[in-house]
Amino acid sequence: MKLYNISLQSIRRRKARTAFLVTGLLLAVASFVTLFIVSENVNQSVASDLDEFGANMLITPKSDGLNLNYGGVSVTGLTFESGSLKQDDIALIKTIKNRDNLSIIAPKLFAASKIDPAGGAGEKNIIVSGVDFKEEIRLKKLWQVNGKYPAKENETVIGSEVNKVLGLGLNQKINLNNEEFIITGILNETGSQDDGLIFIDLTKAQILFNKQNQLSLIEIAARCYDCPIEEIVRQSSEKLPGAKVTAIKQSIESKMTAIHRFEHFSLGISSVILIISLLIVFTNVNASVNERTREIGIFMAVGFKRWHIIKIIILEVLIASFAAGILGFFIGVAAAKIITPILSMNESLEINFSYILLLTSAGMAVLAGLLASVLPALKAARLDPTVAFRSL
Amino acid sequence: MSLIQIDNLAKEYKSGNEKVIAVNNISLEIEQGEFISLMGESGSGKSTLLTMLGGLNKPTKDKVIIDEIDIYNLSANRLADFRREYIGFVFQSFQLIPYLTVIENVQLPLATNSHSKKLQAELASSILNKVHLESKGKRLINELSGGEQQRVAIARALINDPMILLADEPTGNLDSKTSEDIMNILLELNQTGKTVIMVTHNPVFKKYSTRNIQLSDGKLIC
Repeated sequence: MKLYNISLQSIRRRKARTAFLVTGLLLAVASFVTLFIVSENVNQSVASDLDEFGANMLITPKSDGLNLNYGGVSVTGLTFESGSLKQDDIALIKTIKNRDNLSIIAPKLFAASKIDPAGGAGEKNIIVSGVDFKEEIRLKKLWQVNGKYPAKENETVIGSEVNKVLGLGLNQKINLNNEEFIITGILNETGSQDDGLIFIDLTKAQILFNKQNQLSLIEIAARCYDCPIEEIVRQSSEKLPGAKVTAIKQSIESKMTAIHRFEHFSLGISSVILIISLLIVFTNVNASVNERTREIGIFMAVGFKRWHIIKIIILEVLIASFAAGILGFFIGVAAAKIITPILSMNESLEINFSYILLLTSAGMAVLAGLLASVLPALKAARLDPTVAFRSL
Repeated sequence: MSLIQIDNLAKEYKSGNEKVIAVNNISLEIEQGEFISLMGESGSGKSTLLTMLGGLNKPTKDKVIIDEIDIYNLSANRLADFRREYIGFVFQSFQLIPYLTVIENVQLPLATNSHSKKLQAELASSILNKVHLESKGKRLINELSGGEQQRVAIARALINDPMILLADEPTGNLDSKTSEDIMNILLELNQTGKTVIMVTHNPVFKKYSTRNIQLSDGKLIC
C-alpha cells in the first residue's frame, strides 16, 4: 500500500465521481482538439484560397530603367532587353527549399504590337501578353470571360478596354505581327492592367515576337500560411541572381490579416473552453474535498502528514485528467473528422495522427487538473483535525 | 515517569458567541499497560479528552506529555509521525475507507513508510489473523458485518504496533455478543502490554478496565 494506491482505488471504486470528473475534462479536451483541427483546416483552407487569389510575388528582370507598371511593380522588357529572365528560370524557381509553398507560377511575355482588326479599323498599337493560360486562369480568379478561353495557339482573349477602343467582337479575327488570331473570349472589366492587354499563348508569343525562351515577368502565388514570404523571396533571389524578386506586401498583409482573424477566433474559443474545464474540475474536486472530510480525518488519525493528503487528492485528479486528455484527444479527432466535411471546408480532409497534439491534449488536461485541484487539496490538508474529527 | 501526564488540561470552544468548556482543568497520569475506561454523560468531554490525548486536538491550556514528549510542542509533521508511531485509534462508527479492501484498510497507516509490499502484506496478514479475519482480506468493507468492520478497525490501529490504543465507544454500534468479542480483543491487547484508553457509556465494560475515570461537565469526578 502506497499513497498512489489510495488514489488509484479511489478512482477505480468511486466510479460516479470519477466519471463526472473525467467527462467534464474530456468534453473540454475533445472540444479543444476538434476546434483546433477544424480551425487549422479553416485557416489552411482560407490561406490556400487567399494565396491563390492573385499573386503575392513578382519576378522581373533587373533593370535601371522605368517601364510598365504591373500591379504596382515596374516591369522592364517592353523595349525587349529582357534577356535576363528566361523560360528555364521557372524550373530553377521550382528547386528552392520552400518549393512546396509555390502554388501558382504564371510566366508572361509582353510585346508591343500593331493590331489590324480584320474589320478595317486601321492599325493600332497594343500590348500583347503571352501567358500560360492554365496557370493564368488559376491566378486570376476574378477574371470573367464572355466566350471561352483560348484552346489553340492562334486563339486569343482580349481585355475589356481593348474591346471598347477597337470595337472588336467574339470570333472576330485580328492580325498580330502579320499572323491571324481569333478572339474566343472578351474579359469583363477587371479594373487592372489586364483590361488593356491582348492575351495569347506564351509559346506562340515567344515565336511570334522572336523572343524564344524569354519572359518579361513571372507572377507567383505562394502559400504563406506556414512560411514567411520574405524567405521565399530570398530563396528565389538566390536561384535567380539576374532577376528582381519582389513580394507584393499589400496582398500578403491582407491575406495574413484574414488568416489571423481565424486564429484569434480559435484562440478565444479555446480559452473559454479551458476556463470552463478549470471551473468544472475545481468545483468537482472542491465538492469531493467537502464530502471527504471524514476520510481526511481518518488519514490524519493514522498519521498522514499534510502533504500526504495533498498528494492523494492531486494524484487522483492527475490520473483522471490524464485519462480525460487521452480520451478527449481521440474523441476530438473523431468529431473533427465528422464536422469538417459538414462545414465543407475540406472534404478530402486527412487528419494525421499527431503525437504533438496528443501530448498537448494530455498535458493540457493534466495542467488544468493540477491548477484546479491545488486549492481544494490545500484546503483538505489545512483542515482542522478537530473539524475533521467531529465528523468521525 | 508515567506514560501519559496531563496537569490542569483545558479545552474551550466557541459556539457562536458562547464559550463552551469541553475539558475543564483535568489532571491525570496514566501508566503503561493500564486499561482505562472513560465514562460520563454525552457532552461530558470524554471524546474531546481522547482526541487531545491522540494529538488531534490542541488544548487551550497546559500540555499533554506522552513518553516524555510534549506532543503539542511538536511541528505538524512530527506530530503526524508521533500519531503514527504511538497511537492507534478505534472509533464507534469504525471509520474505514469504503473504497479500499479489508487488507488495504489495515495497511493504510503503512502507506507513508518505506516498508516493501511483501513486508506490508505479511504484517497485515498477521494482524488480520489476530482478529480472526484472515480469510476476508480481499473483501470490500461494505461486505462485512459491524463486528467484522470493528475488528478491521482494530487491526488497522495495531498495524504500526503503537503503545497506546484510543477507543471511542468501540462497541457503540454493535450487539452485546459482538461487543463482548471486541472487548475481549481489547483485553488481550492490553495483556500484551498496550495501554488502552476507552470511552464507553456501558458500565458493564468497566470490568475489563484496570481503572475507571468518570467525567462530568468536562471535569474529572473520580
